[in-house]
Parts: sequence; structure tokens; C-alpha cells
Amino acid sequence: MSSTTLSLSRRIQLREATPYLFRKALLLWLSVGWFGALVLPWYQAYDGFWSFIWIEDGWPLDDEYSPGILQIFMQDRLWLLPLMICIGLPIICFGWKRDDPRLANFLMGCGGLGLCWILLQGFVIGLRGWNSEAFLLLLGSPGPSQEGMGYGALLVASCLLFLFTQGWSLRGGVQGDGFVTGAIGLNVLLVLLFIFYPVVKILFSALLNEEGALAPILFFQKLTSERIWQLNCFNTGLSCGVAWNSLYLAILVGITTTLLGLAFALLVTRTSIRGKQAYRAITLLPIITPPFVIGLAIILLFGRSGVVSSFLEWAFGIPPTRWIYGLPGIWFAQTMAFTPIAFLVLVGVVEGVSPSMEEAAQTLRANRWQTFQTVTWPLMRPGLANAFLLGFIESLADFGNPLVLGGNFEVLSTQIFFAIAGAQADQGMAAVLALVLLGFTLTAFWIQRRWLGQRSYVSVTGKGDAGIPVQLPKRVRTGITLVCVPFGFLSLTLYGMILFGGFVETWGYKHNFTFKHYLDAFAVSWSDKFGLMWEGTAWNSFWTTLQISAISAPLTAGLGLLTAWLLVRQRFAGKDVFEFITMLSFAIPGTIIGIGYILAFNVPPIEITGTGIILIVCFLFRNMPTGIRAGVAAMAQLDPSLDEASLTLGAPSSTTLRKILLPLLRPAMLAALVFSFVRAMTAISAVIFLVSADYDMATSYILGRVENGDYGLAIVYSSVLIIVMLIVIGGIQWVVGQRQLGRRGSSPISWSGNG
Amino acid sequence: MNNTVHTAVEFLKVTKAFGNVKAVRDVSFQIKSGELVTLLGPSGCGKTTTLRLIAGLEMASGGQIMIGGRDVTQLPATDRDVSMVFQSYALFPHMTVLQNVSYGLTMSRLSKNLVEEQALNGLKLVGLTGFEKRLPSELSGGQQQRVAVARALVLEPEVLLFDEPLSNLDAKLRRRVREEIRDLQQQLQLTVVYVTHDQEEALAVSDRIIVMQEAVIAQQGSPRELYESPKTRFVADFIGDANLVNGQLVSSEGEMGKLQLDELTIQLPHLNLPIGEVTVAVRPEAIMLDPRPEATGIPGTVHKAVYLGSHLEYEIKSAVGELFVIDPLGKEFIAEGHPVRLRIRERGVNLVHD
Amino acid sequence: MRIAKRIGALMGAMLIGSVLQAADRLTLYCSPQIEWCELMVNTFEKQTGIRVSMTRKSSGETLAQIKAEKSNPKGDVWWGGTGDPHLQAAEEGLTEVYNSSMNSQLQDWALSPHKATGGRTVGIYMGGLGYGYNTELLASKGLPAPKCWKDLLNPAFKDEVQIANPNTSGTSYTTLATVVQLFGEDGGFDFMKQLHQNVSQYTKSGSAPIRAAAIGETTVGIVFMHDAVTQAVKGMPIQTVAPCEGTGYEIGSMSIIKGARNMDSAKKFYDFALTADIQSMAASVGAYQVPSNKGAKVPKEAPDLDSVKVIDYDHAKYGSKDVRTRLLSKWDNEVSTLPR
Repeated sequence: MSSTTLSLSRRIQLREATPYLFRKALLLWLSVGWFGALVLPWYQAYDGFWSFIWIEDGWPLDDEYSPGILQIFMQDRLWLLPLMICIGLPIICFGWKRDDPRLANFLMGCGGLGLCWILLQGFVIGLRGWNSEAFLLLLGSPGPSQEGMGYGALLVASCLLFLFTQGWSLRGGVQGDGFVTGAIGLNVLLVLLFIFYPVVKILFSALLNEEGALAPILFFQKLTSERIWQLNCFNTGLSCGVAWNSLYLAILVGITTTLLGLAFALLVTRTSIRGKQAYRAITLLPIITPPFVIGLAIILLFGRSGVVSSFLEWAFGIPPTRWIYGLPGIWFAQTMAFTPIAFLVLVGVVEGVSPSMEEAAQTLRANRWQTFQTVTWPLMRPGLANAFLLGFIESLADFGNPLVLGGNFEVLSTQIFFAIAGAQADQGMAAVLALVLLGFTLTAFWIQRRWLGQRSYVSVTGKGDAGIPVQLPKRVRTGITLVCVPFGFLSLTLYGMILFGGFVETWGYKHNFTFKHYLDAFAVSWSDKFGLMWEGTAWNSFWTTLQISAISAPLTAGLGLLTAWLLVRQRFAGKDVFEFITMLSFAIPGTIIGIGYILAFNVPPIEITGTGIILIVCFLFRNMPTGIRAGVAAMAQLDPSLDEASLTLGAPSSTTLRKILLPLLRPAMLAALVFSFVRAMTAISAVIFLVSADYDMATSYILGRVENGDYGLAIVYSSVLIIVMLIVIGGIQWVVGQRQLGRRGSSPISWSGNG
Repeated sequence: MNNTVHTAVEFLKVTKAFGNVKAVRDVSFQIKSGELVTLLGPSGCGKTTTLRLIAGLEMASGGQIMIGGRDVTQLPATDRDVSMVFQSYALFPHMTVLQNVSYGLTMSRLSKNLVEEQALNGLKLVGLTGFEKRLPSELSGGQQQRVAVARALVLEPEVLLFDEPLSNLDAKLRRRVREEIRDLQQQLQLTVVYVTHDQEEALAVSDRIIVMQEAVIAQQGSPRELYESPKTRFVADFIGDANLVNGQLVSSEGEMGKLQLDELTIQLPHLNLPIGEVTVAVRPEAIMLDPRPEATGIPGTVHKAVYLGSHLEYEIKSAVGELFVIDPLGKEFIAEGHPVRLRIRERGVNLVHD
Repeated sequence: MRIAKRIGALMGAMLIGSVLQAADRLTLYCSPQIEWCELMVNTFEKQTGIRVSMTRKSSGETLAQIKAEKSNPKGDVWWGGTGDPHLQAAEEGLTEVYNSSMNSQLQDWALSPHKATGGRTVGIYMGGLGYGYNTELLASKGLPAPKCWKDLLNPAFKDEVQIANPNTSGTSYTTLATVVQLFGEDGGFDFMKQLHQNVSQYTKSGSAPIRAAAIGETTVGIVFMHDAVTQAVKGMPIQTVAPCEGTGYEIGSMSIIKGARNMDSAKKFYDFALTADIQSMAASVGAYQVPSNKGAKVPKEAPDLDSVKVIDYDHAKYGSKDVRTRLLSKWDNEVSTLPR
């Protein structure tokens, strides 16, 4: 062994690098800010975020396209001046040493004040002058005006955020790590802007009357209205309040999905039945099914003139009825749709019940039935409760199935939609109903966290458990086979109907074979002049959907994992509140989010309605909770020493995240990716209000077709979407399969808990 | 290499609080370059937190931390001149041995050749040449541990930190590896801070031991100082075995005092304890048993006697309480129930603070 | 990472796409069926070279959107959809006054909402209210063929009638207003109460009942007659009925959104949509409403409004917010709560 090659001089060279890096990062971000302030247009051009017309259309002197600095001096927009000062002053920092105590406070001050000011001026000075009544009265009308923030403002805001978080880290915040403080700052700002703000905006409208004045009494009347809370269904033939309906339905759906999910989970993990993979595949289909489709297929099977009803009439003379419309139909459809979620949760739970515990029970002279009763079942109970709550929440938020199958059975999610889009057009009522719905979901979440938080995880040790899962007792096995086989058959029939429905002229009436719907939607032709022509009416929304989903999915997975990383691996004040707000968008019905987004982002300072960005942002923040969960679950399995080792070896935390955590989290990341992609492809309720001419989404197109009775086209489009999603998921899984690290026990990430 | 002795790590009244709980309270110490210092204590005493404070994985809530003469209190782990060997080794499972060892060097933006040269050197130092292409999962526990050491070593940090590095090894390996670590440290004149809860391990490897108890330093000193003159009841009990009995401090003169233990009178440092009842720590091997009826000393009876080959162990019921005695000579086996007289060697008895 | 590259490529594609955008534009909110909307857009683009961005949403959704966008309108023209939401928008000042030079060519009924709102909206087509029934089901159940409104009150039709919920559908509100005008307020509500006994389901969407009837989910669906005609033309066993007592009608309308960013294009489209040639094209996409331009061809499948007894529907009164809210809450309290 020799020590001669380890020399001191080299070490000193290496270790001086970091302060220098800090200065470089500061310079980089300041130049970003300066570029934004001095060069790029400050305000958003009317042509949209991606439009670069401004380059040749009057920039930099034209009012509309001027950079911030010229706005101040040429347009007298003096309120922008403090921002310039905030990003200009830090230049004096370059003369200071890194450990100069003034540095941290100075940067924090500049960044913090600047951020506050940029938000304040944005919200106070609107498109038509002062936004607030108080200012109007105080300073006279109408005051200065400005457009929505554009590239320039965006860059300056990023720069200010960086100054602030960098200062915070210099003060030793969050282990003194600039990347982490930056990530937290960015995350908090985004979550406040894109979750908290729109949600508050819409819920606040519950308190307003139609003239926009505060009306607490009206609010109270609406909140306690009979239509929400009446209990007539118990003593008279009338229907109950819509809140009770929703609650009742959600409980039923929670129970059936949990039981069915459990049956499938047991079938797949604890029996030697053949074709397990097929069962897994069947249960996954509903997840990638666009809304409405299951409901439509059910009508075609069990409706009054449906296949099954007609057969029953023909064979047994049972007159067809309309039983499917209303509670039974929704219950049925939601059970079909949400059982997979319960299944995915419960497969993990059942697999997590350590066989050695069951073996232990058996060595203690318990027979199979007693083992199941005394060991297996109690161990699964918390997981069952978890699955129940997920089914409950999904049912509350579901919009597509009640819309198609509701009959006279009113539920909150559709009532909210029709309160806004129906003939009443009562946004306040919608907000009140949303509050009720939100109350239910948050209570469910609260119970889940409070009561199950610690108990719901069955420990899976990384060490191989040598035991072999105990086979189920015979009566249980017979029971679940009797449940699962018909259910699987029914699923297949429904999907068969869907596929079949695309090829018949008029579903449910004229069943002659035709390609007409496919041609209408997806015709392609070749012309010598223009080359390939996408003639079908669906192409436009199809490409948009793919594009938006493909962009939002990696962003969602990335931001979700980053947030998970912050939540799992970092400590900072207010983490609980932060976590709560990130979960908020998940608990709120999509319709409310949609309207909230329009209210919040149709006007400056952030004006993104009618663009693709609002769709991306909406998906990003609606689906992020799932990414967070996947990330949290996966990260909990990774030894924290791994990141710490990387840190002490001199890797900054950004590098640690990239080089250590990301490769190890690859399966989780791809699961999150697939999931966000699928959710973006199939989301409907929030999307209805956010689609625009240039950015129409597949689901909104399908809704239009369903409204119009064009079931053929709707079904054709849905089957194409299902197939596209299958291909995408298959492709991603193929990639994961190739690269997965067999060694580290990465359990399958459950797709549970989505809204 | 680094021959000038200087202070490598210095803590000045460092406090770390997690919420209301203080994991480390007003701790001050110095570690000289080239020294191997062990942080020793039971779990929850704050030793690991102290180590993490040095590494920068925790930020101090108060006080000042200096590394290599530089104030690093607010500096993140990445920017501190330390590296750490983790309890779980924390080898990156998706990287080969060589990639693991090169990782830190790559971060320092050295040229590729230099990185590889340095990494291979590190592997050579821990005797793992030829294992470069393996994945951590293909190594034995001991080999993984060496990779972890090599990975930390190649960065030539101002101070190298070990967090219970032997706890995942079996007993036999543990002995060998701790010797290897000590050899390497001596040979390269490394500054090492070593955390363990195993007092034997601490005694074996350390130049100096800092014993921690409930977030503060109980005592620090060389292994010998700690063993031979523990200052507190806790240290006496934690390092080696000790019989803790009550005695009377009858007088004191200068540093020394006179202790009355039943019939025995012993001269020993009084530690500024007040005259009166005091706690006395007596090492088991310092008690001499005399079975002869004419012998003098504290009277007692053999309650239990165990023959262990190299030595004998006795449990004695005596006038000062129950005592545990080791008789290394094993010259004569005293049967259970036999009355004995006890005398105590001066080097194995200490007054201790409670 | 590769994913990052792909995102980059997509963004790049978006950039290029947007740079190539032309300057003259129009944002159209369109409420009738998509085929009709697309026909309008394509023809307009071809004729004027103005690039149209079109969103198809039901009239309720569109009104909600225009309201939400009030402080910073994004749309220019709202074309089609039943007249009431247009009247409501006008009442709330969400739409712009415009007197088109084409007005002189329009039918009187098309101009009545124009007058009522001081020029904020205009009729583009008319659709008579009525109902359709499934001939096959009727025969198999042995039910008498209904000809009048009151025929639907026959207890034999129990659970065989569908109509939309007036709270969610303009069509159904038109029905309510029609029977109130036909039979007086008390008589009208009596009618609705008795009808309630036969209604199997109040649907959300106005045209859903006739689609249900077409595929045999119900026997009778109360809808606008042109919707029933559409089903019949598709080959479904639907017979369209113009009730013998007389019936109300909707005036499909068009408005320019207040604060439209492309006001010139909006006005061009407005004039364009009122021309006879354009209105004559509607039948080719299965829209069988009666066009508002006197010179436009009435599709031969359209219910012949000359032979239908059309009541003198007071759009101004029944489209106003007060009357509307009162009737709806009365329906809510007195009809929908009745047991069946």
C-alpha cells in the first residue's frame, strides 16, 4: 500500500471550486433577470405565449412589446421601477465574500421584496385600471392599466425567486442547500398560484350574490337548502337531497369496489387459477377508458332495448324496464370503473401479508380457515379501509357515469356542472355544492390520514421471505371464483360492445357493419399538392390531446417526484400545510377547478386561458398528487444514506437527485409518467371549460358527440384512445422491463389515489 | 503527508434542536489533525447527530463549527471538506465499484484520467484491486465496507467520518476490519471521527474518546484515561464493567482524598466531591479475593462462581453490596457459599460524580 | 434524457406552428351540432381568408364561459344555440349591439329578439317545439298515436315520456313557457304536474329524450321538432308530432361578444351568417331548422311551420331573468317534488 499518490496540493485545488460556482450561479440568474427586464417584451402579446410575431412587429419600441425597462420610461409604468432595482442591486454582491453575513440578508431582501412587489402590482393594476374597489375610491378612476405578464416578467420573477431562495440557503435554511431552497421556493410559489389561488377564487364566489356583493345570508340559505339535504326518500316516495344521494352512492361504491378488488387480489395472488395475467389485464382496462364509455356500453347491454334486456324478454317474457337509470346504473358503472383502483391497492396489501406470519399461525395449529380469519384478514384490514376510501372519493368526484346513467338520481358532481352550465347559470350555487363535496372528500382524507396513517402499511422487508403464500380455504376460493369469473366476463362483454359499437351504423338500432364512423373521425387522404391530409374530424383534437398529454406527463411526474423528495427527504417549516395544499386539487371536483382556472387565469397578471398552457398546467397540478404518492412510496424504500453519501462526496443536491435518486426511482417515475399521461388523455370535468378552439381535447370532443347522440363516433374515438394508451403503456413498460434493476426490491407502484 | 498538527474540527457551544428536543446541547470539543476520535455513547445520546453536524447533514441551531480553521456553520454538506462512511455503506447500487469510488472525484471536476488513477489507488489501498467492474450487490459485506471506505478516502478530506461502520458485520470480521481502519488511519495520518456504541471497539481504535450522554459530553480523554479514571458514574459503567458502591469520603488534601469503604481505607483523587457519602466505581479485576479465614478486608460470601478458561468470574455478596469480580489468575477456585475477604487495588478504584 | 429531447421537439413544433399564424382572425363560439359549426367555419374561411378558431360547446356552457371571461373576453362571435341564453347574455350586458345591413332580409320573428334586446342578438333559425315517438315501441305496446300535448297525459303513457329538466335545458324551459302561454299559468302548471306522472326521466340535455326514443329507451321524447326529424332522417323509427293545440318555438340566435378583439371579423361573420346562401346549406349537414333569411331555402325535411299552429311566443317576457327564475323555482317546488 502506498500513500504517496495522495497529495495535499491537489486537494486544495479541488476544494476551492464551490464558492466560485456559487458566484457563477448568481451571475447566471441575474443575467436571466436582466435579459428579461432589458430585452424581452414585458407583457404577454395577444398572439399567445408561443407566438414570436413581436420580433418583427414593432419590438422593442412598440407599447405592446416593449421590455420592462422601456415600459418604465416610455409608457410611464413607474411601478415596474422597484423590480428593476431589486434585480439590479445584487450586482454589488460580487464584491462580497460568500460568508459575509450581509450577503444572505441582502439577497433575501431583494428577492423577497421583489417577488411581493411583482405579485402586488400584477394583482392591483389590471387590464382596465385598478383591480380593487379600495384603490378606485382612494386614487380615482380608472388608474393605470397593464396586460398579462409575458416573457420578461416571467424571467424577472424567476430571478427574484432565485435571489430569495439563495439568500435563504446562505442563512443556513434547509441544510444550507441552494438547490433545495430553490426547489421549495419554486414549488410553494407554483402551488400557491395554481392550486390555492384558483380554488380560493371559486370557493369565495360561494359567498357572493349575482351582483358580486357579499351575501352571507344567501350563502347560508343555499348551504342549508332542502335540495341538498332533504331526507324525503326515507319516509316518502320522493328523492333525497343531492348530498345524501352522493354520500349513499359513494358508500355503496366504496364497499363493492373494495370487495371486488379484494376478490381479484386474492384470486391473482393466492390461488393457482390459470390466466392470472389475463385477469390483471382485464382489471386494468377501465383505468385507460375515456369517460362515458362504460356508461354507454352498460345502456346498450342493460338498457330497455339493450341486448340483455331484449334477450330476457325474448326468452322469458320479462318486460324490459328502465332500472338501469339512476342509482343502480351509476353504482354498476362506477363499480366497473373503480374496482381496478381497489385491486391495485389491495394486490400490494395482500402481497405484503408476509407468508411467514401465516406459516407461523399454521404451526400454531390453526387450520386454513382459522389462519385466514385470525391472521390474513386482520393484517389486510387497514388496506381494505384504504381501498374503501379511495372508491368513496372516486365515486364522489365521478362525472361521466352519472351524466350518462343518472336518470332522476342527482349527485353533487353533475349538479355542480349543471349549476354552472345549465339553464340556471348559478355559479354561487355551484360553489356551494362544491363546498359540500369538498367537505365530504376532505373528511374522508382526514379519516384516512388520522386513522390509518401509520397502520395502513404492511411491512415488506427487502429480505426474501422464504414462505410460500398459503392457499385460500376452499369456501373463500369458491366464493371469489364465483364473483370474479362473471365480473371478468362482464368486463370483456362491455369492451366487446365498445369495439363492436364502432363498426355498426347506429348502435342499439341498426347493426349493419360499417367503417363510416372510423372514416368520419380518422380519415386520411393523399393529395399531390399538400401531401398527407388529415381529413377526419377527430384528428385535430387527437393530436392536441397527444401533444398536451405528452408534455404534461413528464412535467407532472417530474414535479411530483421533486415534491415527494422535498416531503420525504427535507425538513422545512410549514411542510404539513404545503402537503395539504398539494393534495387540495386532488380532492376538489374537476368542474370547480375548471371554472376556478378560468376565473383566475383569464385576466392579468397571469393570462393563459385559451392556450395549451392552461391545459398543461391544469393536468400538471391535478395529477401531481399521484406523482407525489408514487414518489413518496418509492423513496421510502431508498436508504436516505444514499443521498447523504452523495452529498458528503461533494455532489450538489441537484446532481444527487439526478445521478442517484432518479436512476433508482426509474420504475416509480415511469409509473407516474404513464399515469399522468393516461389521466391527461381521459380527464373530462376540468377540461370542458379549459378547451379552446386551438386546443380542443379528445374527451371534450367525445362529450360533444355524446350530447349530440353520435354514439358511433364517440365510441370509435374512445376505442382509438384506448388502443393508443395501450400502445404507449406497453412501450413504456417494455423500456422499464429492459432496464429495471433486479436487485433492489422495488415493489410495483400502485396507481392508487387519483381524482 | 500532512505533518503539521493543527485543529481539524472544532465545536464551540454547538446546539442542535429538533423541535423542542435538543439532540446536542452546548457541545464544545477540538479534534487535532491525524487523530482518531471516537464519539461513544448509548443510542439517543447525540453522537450520530454530532457526526452529522460535522458532515453538514444537519445544521446547527446554535454555536459554531470550524473545519480546518474555517467557519462552516452555515455551509452545506456538499461544500464541506469531509467525507463519510455510512452505517449501511450507502453504496450506489446502480454503479460499479469503480464508479462508486470515482463519484466524489468526478464531482471535483478532475480530468478523467486523474479520476481513474486516484480511484484505482483508493481501491488498492483497501485491497480491492480487481473488483472494479463489480456491482455492490456482488460483493460480500466486508468488501462493501471497504468500497465505502475507499470512496470516502480518495477525496482526501480534512476529516473522515465513520458512522458505526462495523455494525453490519459479523463478530469475527468486525475485529479484522476495525484493525484495518486503524492501520489505514495511522499510515495515512488521517483525521477520523468515528461513531460507535460499542465501548470495546472504541477502546481498540481510538486515540481519544468523547463519551456522550443525553446530548452533552460526559467525558473525553484517551481510552486509558477513560477506563482508569472515569469521572462519572455513567462513564465508569459504560466503559468496561464497574461495581458502583457507596463509600465515605472522610478527608481531602490537595488532589487526593481518603475514602473509607467498609473496613478499607483508600487514597484516591477526590474530584472536588464534598466530604461525606460518595459513589465509588470499582473495576471487577481490581478486587482481590482472599478465602483464608485470617485475611483482612471487606467481608463477603461467594454467591456464584463461573470458570471461563482464561479467568474466573465471581459474584460476591458483601458488606458494601453485591460485587462482580474477575480473577484473571484463576490460581484457586473458591466454591460457592465460601466466606471471603475483599481487598482493592488502588488503580482500579475511582470516585465518580453521579 | 430522451424524454427531455422529445419535449423539446414538441415545443419546437408548437413554436413553428404559431409563428406561421396569419394576422386576421376570428374566435367563434358555436353551439349547434359540430358538423354545422365546421361547415360554417370552412365556408367562412374560404370566402374571407380570415382564420377562424372555433369552440363547440352547448349554449349553457358557452354562457358560463362568456360570463367567466367577462373582464377579458376571448371570444368574438357566439353563433347558434337556443335564444334564451343569448337573451340572458344581452340582459347582463355581455354582448354587443350590432345592426347588420342584412337585417332587412330577415323574417320578422328573427328580428324580434333583436328589437327586444336593442340590437344585441338576432335570430338565425327557428325550430318549433313538439315531440317524437318511437313507432315500433308504440305499436308493440298498443298505445294510441299521440297528436296533441294533452294526449301525453294519458295514463297509458306512464313512464313512457322523457323531457329534459327545465333547470338544465333551454329546450325544456321553452316547453314550460309554451304550455304556460297556451294554457295560462295555472293550466300550464297543471299540465306539467300531470305530465310528471308519465315522465320516466328528466334528462339533462335538451335533445336527449329523442335520442332515447330513437334507440327505444323511451316511447316519447319532448324536443324541438327538427331534432326529431334528424333522427327520422337517420332512419330511426321516429314520428315527429306538431301538437294540435299549437306550440312554441326557439329562435336560434347569434350575438357578438362585448369587447371582442376582432370586431371587424366578428361583424363580417355576422353578416355572412345571415345571408341566404349560407343558411340554405344547413340541411346538407342534417340541420333541419327554418332559416331566418327570407331568401334561404327551407329544407324539405323541415317541419312545415305553415301547417303548424305556432303560438305568439313572447320571447322578451319569458326570456327575461325574473320570469324565468320565477317559473323555474315554481316548477322546482310544485312539480318536481310531486310523488309519482
